[in-house]
Amino acid sequence: MAPKRGHEDGSDVAIPFKKKRTSDNDDYVDVDDDEYAESEANSSLVPRGATINFSALTRKLEASRKVQENGNDSMGLPAHRRQQDSLVSHIFQDQDFSWLHLKPDHASRPLWISPEDGHIILEAFSPIAEQAQDFLVAISEPVSRPAFIHEYKLTSYSLYAAVSVGLQTEDIIEVLNRLSKVPVPESITTFIRERTLSYGKVKLVLKHNKYFVESSHPETLQTLLKDKVIREARVHSQVVDTSIKASTFTTSRAPVKGNLVIAGTKEAEKRKEDSGNATGANGAPTADKDLFTSVVGVESDEIDEDDDNVHAFEIDDAKIDDVKKRCNELEYPMLEEYDFRNDTVNPNLDIDLKPSTVIRPYQETSLSKMFGNGRARSGIIVLPCGAGKTLVGITAACTIKKSCLVLCTSSVSVMQWRQQFIQWSNITDRQIAVFTADQKEKFAGDSGIVVSTYSMVANTHNRSHESKKMMDFLTSREWGFILLDEVHVVPAAMFRRVVTTIKAHSKLGLTATLVREDDKIADLNYMIGPKLYEANWMDLAAKGHIANVQCAEVWCPMTPEFYREYLREQSRKRMLLYCMNPKKFQACQFLIKYHEDRGDKIIVFSDNVFALEAYAKKLGKLYIHGGTGQVERMRILQHFQHSPEVNTIFLSKVGDTSIDLPEATCLIQISSHFGSRRQEAQRLGRILRAKRRNDEGFNAFFYSLVSKDTQEMFYSTKRQQFLIDQGYAFKVITHLDGLEEMPDLVYRTRDEQIELISSVLMANESEADLGTDVRAGEGDLAGTITSKDFGMPSRFPAVQRTTGSLSALSGGQHMSYVEQNKSANKKLAREAAPRHKLFAKRDKDKASARKEGRSQA
Amino acid sequence: MKAIRGVLLTCDSAVKQILLTMNEKQSFIIEDLDDHHLVIKADEEWRVKRELEAELEKNTYSLE
Repeated sequence: MAPKRGHEDGSDVAIPFKKKRTSDNDDYVDVDDDEYAESEANSSLVPRGATINFSALTRKLEASRKVQENGNDSMGLPAHRRQQDSLVSHIFQDQDFSWLHLKPDHASRPLWISPEDGHIILEAFSPIAEQAQDFLVAISEPVSRPAFIHEYKLTSYSLYAAVSVGLQTEDIIEVLNRLSKVPVPESITTFIRERTLSYGKVKLVLKHNKYFVESSHPETLQTLLKDKVIREARVHSQVVDTSIKASTFTTSRAPVKGNLVIAGTKEAEKRKEDSGNATGANGAPTADKDLFTSVVGVESDEIDEDDDNVHAFEIDDAKIDDVKKRCNELEYPMLEEYDFRNDTVNPNLDIDLKPSTVIRPYQETSLSKMFGNGRARSGIIVLPCGAGKTLVGITAACTIKKSCLVLCTSSVSVMQWRQQFIQWSNITDRQIAVFTADQKEKFAGDSGIVVSTYSMVANTHNRSHESKKMMDFLTSREWGFILLDEVHVVPAAMFRRVVTTIKAHSKLGLTATLVREDDKIADLNYMIGPKLYEANWMDLAAKGHIANVQCAEVWCPMTPEFYREYLREQSRKRMLLYCMNPKKFQACQFLIKYHEDRGDKIIVFSDNVFALEAYAKKLGKLYIHGGTGQVERMRILQHFQHSPEVNTIFLSKVGDTSIDLPEATCLIQISSHFGSRRQEAQRLGRILRAKRRNDEGFNAFFYSLVSKDTQEMFYSTKRQQFLIDQGYAFKVITHLDGLEEMPDLVYRTRDEQIELISSVLMANESEADLGTDVRAGEGDLAGTITSKDFGMPSRFPAVQRTTGSLSALSGGQHMSYVEQNKSANKKLAREAAPRHKLFAKRDKDKASARKEGRSQA
Repeated sequence: MKAIRGVLLTCDSAVKQILLTMNEKQSFIIEDLDDHHLVIKADEEWRVKRELEAELEKNTYSLE
């Protein structure tokens, strides 16, 4: 908490200076006064934070202010201020920045910069906050973006990214200075200078299937070669040298820039924009004269204008990763750019977006960061779930127009990617191939697209003959572009294997949640590249690209019986107890009723299959989990989408990613995967693309039902952290109005509750496991949403030994069993609607075309 | 019979359950009145409060 909190406090320092805030401070004193007195009484256990001292201090300040008011105000001010400083200083210790002098017009400037760790605090309510945000996103990484105060952080990677999109060192400092309330600290300016000046001197280039380190400064290469790691990775080739200056390096002409159009941006939509613009290299920012935006959108390509000789040495493929990492450590990060238009070695792929495809402004912005100087940069683009990541990837592929490899996490998403490629672009069936455990295709012709999973490509174990042949095919060629879906879940080791075995000129990583439960995000920086773009969720919601979501956490008290058992139970059955809490049942029933009456379509999520079935049966709703057959599943989904009778379905983990339901407008969570921030974001993503999002005043709802006083509270708060950093606010609902009066409320009487608890206690311990219904397919990654393991340490041993009597083992102690709640699934009509003739015919045509294509290949 | 100095404790039902389990380890409850009220020994009051606080703190997530 130390650094973060320090800043919030840091910005508080100014408050006492402002006279108009006095009344606020008065309240503060009153409220905290009591707490202060009380905490003295039981000063024992929990150390209270700085608030207490702060309140005491404010009182002192108040007192001194009153004295001051008697005298002349303007005369007393400096003295008064000095007094305040000395009073304030000791609280913040090394976080005390009161020595930073505010500029006289600080009120109109929106930024604070911490001289120590490069954190930037932005007042998001300032009139120029929007421009400032554009600028900050370009040079720093967003840490947290709630409604009024945003926090950003300057890091080396963010600065590299800034330089790589064409910002100049002095401009960055200049603009920062303009926006900052305090003069930009010396430490920060030197940091920026250091980081930005060394960037871009060294390049990693792939030529004829070999990696070269390139630089226009031979001295830099000499420096690098002095390093042991890099020297060892060097491959000595017998190239006859032409360069006089550095006889050990190969020399060639530097690429020249030209004009490039990102597919689907200019030609399709933006004709009205002045295309004769000299800087038309990308979707240029609209004619905004503002200084900040123009700096952000700077488009000059200063990196290699002045030199036409570059020097290079070759690097061993296997060590490419170590070299990259080492270069980063030496502060000569390697620039990976692909000049795809001048690449004549690799055949072009004839692919373009369909004319009907329209890309959204933020997708265009993210792509313009990637293709900013007419070449393809490697990096990561972060967009929320449901904001069209796939389309960004496809557009990038259509811009590069070379052979492309798409890697995703599971075989389900492989098929989704393939389908999306066909939907959005004019690629033919024969040019796109799939490589999974079941299907091993090659594309026809010289170039094409292959979609596969990470584990298929990174597998080092024995392969079948066919997949070995396929791998040889993949490794033997040079790829123009490699698209990495859900980059944040891929383990570093696997990634390294992928990067070293596949030769690709440029890499693009896509993700919605750049968080890892194991915090290994930094690895991605050198393995793929810097973060090129990160969308602001709130911004997209405000513009209607994703739905506006109201988030709420509903606290359900545990009934005394359940809580007693909860406290006694030490095992994983605890989890079952807090999921099956009768008050939660009631809250769930109430919320379903409430939203069904409003006309919402509701999805209820439960990771725990036991709870899922119990809830769905008790409430008479349809449910889908891993055990639900394909036909039944389709029938349920169809009813949910089209029938006005079915407004609620219960989904297990299967619904986290692979089921797309744009009808849903309300989401209720009853059980979830511990503290996984990713799952929370992914689930929210289910309603972000709600069809009705553009209706006037439309809100989607996201509820988490949490049993009070249990571990669930802890997990729930942890889960929310990511979304809170994106600016979402979770309301806490402690009491649902009208819950008690609801007719046919479930588990109303104590007897029913006790019956429920006995059924829970009788349940097997294994029932408490999460996501038992979902089995990872071969080739699916551990740690993806479809597998049980979320990259957290496993909490329980796989096998447990229990003692029991012989009669219990033979079934003598079982109760007789009557099923009272029948699954609502069974009531659905058996027959699926027959397919319309037109579609049936179309399907048949497609199948025959595919067959034909294959026979030709 | 010797008189014991007691304190009336008002709590919600969940806290009462926690206190009951704590009582099993080291007895301090004199009388269990109803769902929300307990009489406990006066000289145990601070210890109980402290342990209860620690117990509840376990379910709270903080940024550290």
